[in-house]
Amino acid sequence: MRGSCLLCSAVLAATLAPAPPVRAQFQQPSAEELKMTADPKAPGASAVYLDREETDSQFTGLQTIYARIKVLADKGKELATVTIPFAPEYSRVDNVQGRTIHADGTIFPLSVKPEDLLDYRNKYYQQNNLVFTLPNVEVGSIIEYRVQIVHKFGILPYWEIQTPYFIHKEHNYFNAKGGGFGVNGRGTFAGFLAMFVTPQNAPLSVKSDAGEYTVDLADVPPQPDEDWMPPMNTLRWRVEFYQTFTDSAQKFWDSALKSWSKDTEQFLKVKQTLRDAANAMVSPGDSEEQKAHKIYAAVLKLENTDYTHVKSDAERKKDKLKTVNDIEDVWKNRSGAGDSIALLYVGLARAAGLKAWAMQVVNRDRAIFDATYLSTRQLDDYIAIVEIGGKEIYLDPGEKVCPFGVLHWTHALATGFRQSAAGPKVAMTPADTYRTDSVERTADLVLDAAGNVTGTARMVMSGAEAIYWRQQALENDPNALDKDFIDDLNATLPEGVSATFDHLVGLDNSDSKLMAIVKLSGGLGTPTRKRLIVPGLFFESRASHPFVAEAKRSTPIDMHIPEMQLDDVVYHLPQGYTVGSAPHTADVTWPGSALLRINSTFSAEQVQVARLFARNFTLLGPGDYNNLHDFYLKLAAADQQQILLARTAPTKGH
Amino acid sequence: MKNPFVPRIEFAFALAAVFLAGVARPAHAGWFGKDDPLPSWALDAAKTPTPAYADHSSAVILFDEYVETIDAQGRAVEREREAIRILKPQGRHHDCSVSYDVDEKINSFREWTVTADGKTFQAKDTDFVDVGGGEEGIVPGIPVLLVTERTRIVHPPAEDVGATIYCESEEQIAPWNREKVWSIQSTIPIAHQALELDLPPGGHYADSWHQHPPVQPVEVAPDHWRWEIDNMHGLDLRDIHVHPAWRALAARMSIYWGADASTDKDAEWRALGQWTADLEAHRPDPTPEITAEAQKLVAGAPDFYAKLVAITEYIQNNIRYFVIERGIGGFQAHPAGEIYRNRYGDCKDKTTLLISMLQAVGIEAFYMPVDDRRGVVDANAPSLAGNHMITAIRLPADERDPRLMAVVAAKDGTRYLIFDPTDERTPVGNLPSYLQGGYGLLAAGPLSQVVALPVLDPAANGADESGTFALAADGTLTGQVDALYFGPEGGNFRSFLKFTDDKERREAWESFVAEDLPGVTLDSLRFVQPDALSKPLEFHFSLTEPRYAHNAGTLLLARTHVLGSAARLPEDKPRKVPINLGATGRWRERYDIALPPGYVVDETPDPVDLDTDFASYHAATTAKGNTLHYERVYTVRKVELPASRAEDFRKFESAVLDDEKGMAVLRKQ
Repeated sequence: MRGSCLLCSAVLAATLAPAPPVRAQFQQPSAEELKMTADPKAPGASAVYLDREETDSQFTGLQTIYARIKVLADKGKELATVTIPFAPEYSRVDNVQGRTIHADGTIFPLSVKPEDLLDYRNKYYQQNNLVFTLPNVEVGSIIEYRVQIVHKFGILPYWEIQTPYFIHKEHNYFNAKGGGFGVNGRGTFAGFLAMFVTPQNAPLSVKSDAGEYTVDLADVPPQPDEDWMPPMNTLRWRVEFYQTFTDSAQKFWDSALKSWSKDTEQFLKVKQTLRDAANAMVSPGDSEEQKAHKIYAAVLKLENTDYTHVKSDAERKKDKLKTVNDIEDVWKNRSGAGDSIALLYVGLARAAGLKAWAMQVVNRDRAIFDATYLSTRQLDDYIAIVEIGGKEIYLDPGEKVCPFGVLHWTHALATGFRQSAAGPKVAMTPADTYRTDSVERTADLVLDAAGNVTGTARMVMSGAEAIYWRQQALENDPNALDKDFIDDLNATLPEGVSATFDHLVGLDNSDSKLMAIVKLSGGLGTPTRKRLIVPGLFFESRASHPFVAEAKRSTPIDMHIPEMQLDDVVYHLPQGYTVGSAPHTADVTWPGSALLRINSTFSAEQVQVARLFARNFTLLGPGDYNNLHDFYLKLAAADQQQILLARTAPTKGH
Repeated sequence: MKNPFVPRIEFAFALAAVFLAGVARPAHAGWFGKDDPLPSWALDAAKTPTPAYADHSSAVILFDEYVETIDAQGRAVEREREAIRILKPQGRHHDCSVSYDVDEKINSFREWTVTADGKTFQAKDTDFVDVGGGEEGIVPGIPVLLVTERTRIVHPPAEDVGATIYCESEEQIAPWNREKVWSIQSTIPIAHQALELDLPPGGHYADSWHQHPPVQPVEVAPDHWRWEIDNMHGLDLRDIHVHPAWRALAARMSIYWGADASTDKDAEWRALGQWTADLEAHRPDPTPEITAEAQKLVAGAPDFYAKLVAITEYIQNNIRYFVIERGIGGFQAHPAGEIYRNRYGDCKDKTTLLISMLQAVGIEAFYMPVDDRRGVVDANAPSLAGNHMITAIRLPADERDPRLMAVVAAKDGTRYLIFDPTDERTPVGNLPSYLQGGYGLLAAGPLSQVVALPVLDPAANGADESGTFALAADGTLTGQVDALYFGPEGGNFRSFLKFTDDKERREAWESFVAEDLPGVTLDSLRFVQPDALSKPLEFHFSLTEPRYAHNAGTLLLARTHVLGSAARLPEDKPRKVPINLGATGRWRERYDIALPPGYVVDETPDPVDLDTDFASYHAATTAKGNTLHYERVYTVRKVELPASRAEDFRKFESAVLDDEKGMAVLRKQ
């Protein structure tokens, strides 16, 4: 848990007021609690919270955290160590009290002074951790502690309602009275208290009564933990109090959009220098598409400091670089952060006569935009939108190597603020399709009678995979990139086969597909006396397919990108062998969502196996899980097929 | 990405933050923002050309020089000057840092950068950060080892490819420290490096070398010695499989000063052991509560072994691993009474309480500093370089219980049982695999000495697994696996149980099984964990794998080795570093697969029989009626092989891998 500091009229009062001592408020455990060895409400849990409490006062800045935990298994003992992060300049931790109660009722009070340890310090900010560990904890113990923290400048609580552990009883209380919410003397802190409860379907409500807020809950389940979940901000229950300038969501977003657009336009100001630059990039006869492409190519050539090195003020001064106040400065510096470059693209496109707009989205790897959370701090990265032939094209020039018309996956299906002909608005970027994110893999393999293989493989990547490796190339030298690529590939090849790097094609041209060529060798087939058995799906025989082991699902599924794999593998047979069987034709379709096709052909000399896998969704609700599970079960089974080669000539020694 | 500007509605908050932050006095750069000129040593270092052998490195250390100035009380002031040239984009992360604890002080720390085009910058206050240290435990977010030590890190300005970073620092070292471990090898090459030791008049020193021939120093002034080393290649183990720990392979020199410093290695080990024993003196003194507890534990114990089991298992089961180390607390344990009261501590604390409880029942035991990375402690290089503390328990002369396997004999013939109380799951008498084959310092006062830790017989470790399965005509495999894990292997699985709840356990086990059976569903999972650590841990689980076998016309192909892989293929190229076999042990597996009705066995894989000095492997598949029976025994006899045996090892492991992939061909009648 943490509290956010806030400058308000309570500063002096809170600074001067001593923290009231913690009262001896530890609870007498019940006989049932003492003898409890397992919790039917949390089967298999290593610990459960019997009580969890936080009370906060805006006026006094006093935050009190209380917990009572039953340890049910060895792992749960670790909860005896408590870490309280705090900024010593703004907060102090007082009155730490704790005790351990054994199952027989024996009490062991916390007698060791908590340790105050530096966590991080720079010139402007310091964070410490106060750490203590409760004594003599054993399986069956109840751990109980209470900590008071005084925040000099008041507190706006942030309650993480869920934890990794089941909670029997949870109580959160915030007294916002006298917190200075409202208009101050100069009107610059027109502060309304806002409350954010997430996710929207969470079964919790906040009781509000004349400036006092309470959340009381029983039987709070542990926070979800499944593979391929969307960002936790959509899943974990929490309540956040914050200050805003209005009590109406509509008013807030209307005003925030206007402010955002005004500030964006201020940064986007197109001056003569930029008009000249844009005119030099395009020709008068260029189509809208040609102009958009040429400008895109030009800004991608600028130094993107997200991938190099952000210059300090001293460096900028020495390099005679301008302080970046608008996009003209970015252009003059020929360098900038990804966001600045994205906005520069918008400005240059406009200077070339195109309709172009800026958009700032929530990075989907971090969070999903939530309109009930009245804060523009949700927004992360800038992208560009350009209109070509009346159609809007979404571009990601801040991502250095993103091809024209492709968004980095963290910016696809992402919501944020955008400009438009009708003014600023909240909008969502389009999703990729499986055609955007594809990998075509071909291999030409020569088998010998012992099952050893030599050959080459070629992987042609587009979309997310190509962007990933190209961005790796920006941050590493080619030698390191080759090693990373091979390590990644070797982890997926059939056991016993390894790849060595040959070369990459198209690394420097982000509009082209990226092709990797590797050499392959090792033991692929398993010989028996009469046969040779070879994995039929070379690139997938060792693949780890998701979802096959889990029959049920409680959370939505976020697979980041759609995808397509197109494989074509030729196995040249050793002399003295004929094909006994090859992978069966597979045609598994999940209409509108995914398909798998496997087809094999063979002759006396070779077996050729083609595989197409396409998945055309990114996000799914848990209600679709049965279909998803069923599809992946069939996919996993089909990918395990073998090629059986029968020996036609006798072999020595057998 | 960072926003290029601060949106207006957040401006008030940003303003408040700036207001609250205040202005701090510059402490690193020149006063009033004026830079110090690049010092002459840096100008000299700048002339060093990038060596050819650094071509594939991300950066190269052109110059690294330590000067240790020792005062009359033996306290050191350390000055370091270092020049690093960034060669590749990923080399930007080679920053300079200085660590300091509560009893140490950084006197100065400055940094300059000279860019590829010759511009010079000096780091400002804002480029320095201090970070605390700590080690996360197995449970996310909960640390188990915290320290008061901090590290000051400089983020150099203009840190880009082609730039050279020059760092100069001076630090007053903790008063109790009498040893400098000079790491003469890094992950990147070092073109030129030196260490100077400036002793008070008549001062003594001794040096020892690990993975590097000794270098003779030059006496550059009276009692002032200088060692120099040129062209040290980087040690990069990234593409080398099954290698020993990096720290065990990296070259280093240890230098000690003070009256105890001795060039005689035995004498130096003795001095280090004496120092450890003195430091921990009286820490294990038993309190009345400890004495009472220990005596209660051993009451009725029929023999020496039973006494040991009672006390060691008490420590293993009841003392949590957690500590906050303050200054010398990195070496010195807490008093036994405190550890007993709180029931938590680190390796030194657990050893202390164990010594204390043993002492309370008349058994003598000693501290033994070690490293849990085999090969770091080097018998020929006396040093306190290590990361762990274990216990050496003195055995009575007539004690010959065969369950006490981890026994070493000191030079005087006294036998000691080696035990690691921090390993909460390996029973007394046995020894965790990570310690076997290494060295430890027996800190027994004047009898202190370095001892080789034993490599135990394979019978002391391993597993016995059996599976009974039924195969359906559609390829579905269902069945039950029963497994026993014992010795350190059993300890590992007990630790897995300790740090997981039911859900995590099931998920982890399912993932583990899915490595061999990708579509597996665990139908049940059960374990039996006897209280006595010496008894094997039992796992019982049943599973369904929908497509275990694959149709090929009228044939059905099924792998005979169902679960678990032992193969560790090394890379197929010349090898220079030893092969780390991990642990000795014996792993036995038996699988019976009932064939689908109407099918008979057409072919089975050939048996494999390998026997070498380091390992043996015997595997065979037989068909009995309508059942396919697979059985293998894999025995590892050594923990490490020299690099010269790489081809033998590769052949052996290739045969293991081939056997694990072996298929039976079933034919429909």
